[in-house]
Amino acid sequence: MSDEELLTLEELTVVCAVTPAWVRVRVEEGLLPAAPEWRFSAVAVRRVRRMHALERDFDAAPELAALMADLLEELDALRARLR
Amino acid sequence: MEFKDYYQTLGVAREVPADEIRKAFRKLARKYHPDVSKEPDAEARMKEVNEAYAVLSDPEKRAAYDQLGRAYRPGEEFRPPPDWDAGFEFSHHDFQGADFSDFFAELFGRMGARGHGQDHYAKVLLDVEDAFLGAARQISLRVPKVDAGGRVALESRTLNVKIPAGVREGQLIRLAGQGAAGAGKPGDLLLEVHFKPHPRYRVDGRDLHVDLPVAPWEAALGAVLRVEVPGGALNVRIPAGAQSGRVLRVRGKGIPAEPPGDLLLALRVVLPGADTPKARELYEQMARDLAFDPRAGT
Repeated sequence: MSDEELLTLEELTVVCAVTPAWVRVRVEEGLLPAAPEWRFSAVAVRRVRRMHALERDFDAAPELAALMADLLEELDALRARLR
Repeated sequence: MEFKDYYQTLGVAREVPADEIRKAFRKLARKYHPDVSKEPDAEARMKEVNEAYAVLSDPEKRAAYDQLGRAYRPGEEFRPPPDWDAGFEFSHHDFQGADFSDFFAELFGRMGARGHGQDHYAKVLLDVEDAFLGAARQISLRVPKVDAGGRVALESRTLNVKIPAGVREGQLIRLAGQGAAGAGKPGDLLLEVHFKPHPRYRVDGRDLHVDLPVAPWEAALGAVLRVEVPGGALNVRIPAGAQSGRVLRVRGKGIPAEPPGDLLLALRVVLPGADTPKARELYEQMARDLAFDPRAGT
């Protein structure tokens, strides 16, 4: 994925309205994928927004929000194949 | 600007306690969750619900809104009186201007002027053909602008952007200097690329999947077929004895990224109808002369 444009941690936090600490904890816990040197793809943007909304709206534990994000990503992939 | 009744949005009475508001919000958040909701306007409704909850779940904002709201009905033309919020202290750092309405921005959008431009992030929906040819698109962004009084208003801005050929589903494109201008240098505009569903084409990463209908004799005897793809037509050799469902990979003829993707042609054998005497005769002859059992070995 050499031509992939990636976001910095700062850009990700602005785009998703989260704090750097929020992101760091979830990357370190393995709930959120980061490319080397703390870079993030569009897939990560979608995941951060989903996880953040689930945690905020339902007081969900980060692990539960990540599990739900896993399922939603799988659903996205299956829906794309049905098209 | 119309007055928005946040209590009506959440379906609760004005005097309900905070935990009732949270309960109502969660019920609606589940109902309109954009990933699972079957409601046609789920995304728009979810925005309204989020906005209402952002105000009513914050005791200061709720108190200020209540004081203001007594004089208004939903939908009524609304102008906030000067200094309406005097005596209330909002925390403005949670302002997500682009996601909320003008009404919200007018009421709660006061925040300190930022020293530098902001990056902007938007989704852009392209046709599959655009990935091959490149495209020009107009993109509308709602940008929070800070006026001299430190108040934020949402401003619509239209940008003409050039999408290069070779973009892939889910890819980010960075357009330097096209984000919101602040006091310093403008930020970048970040676009997330998605493709509209297409009746013939499906994009997977940099590969292009296409259904290719073939006649039984083309599949059985082999053929060279002219296939129309977004990058132009190309000749594809169908090997003799190909079956329906077989996928032919044409290397390098997918999305012209660096390196380019592949074109994947899924063969679908289409039978001619036996709706003329000649066609019936041919089918009957095959039935007689070919020792063929499609279920042999199953």
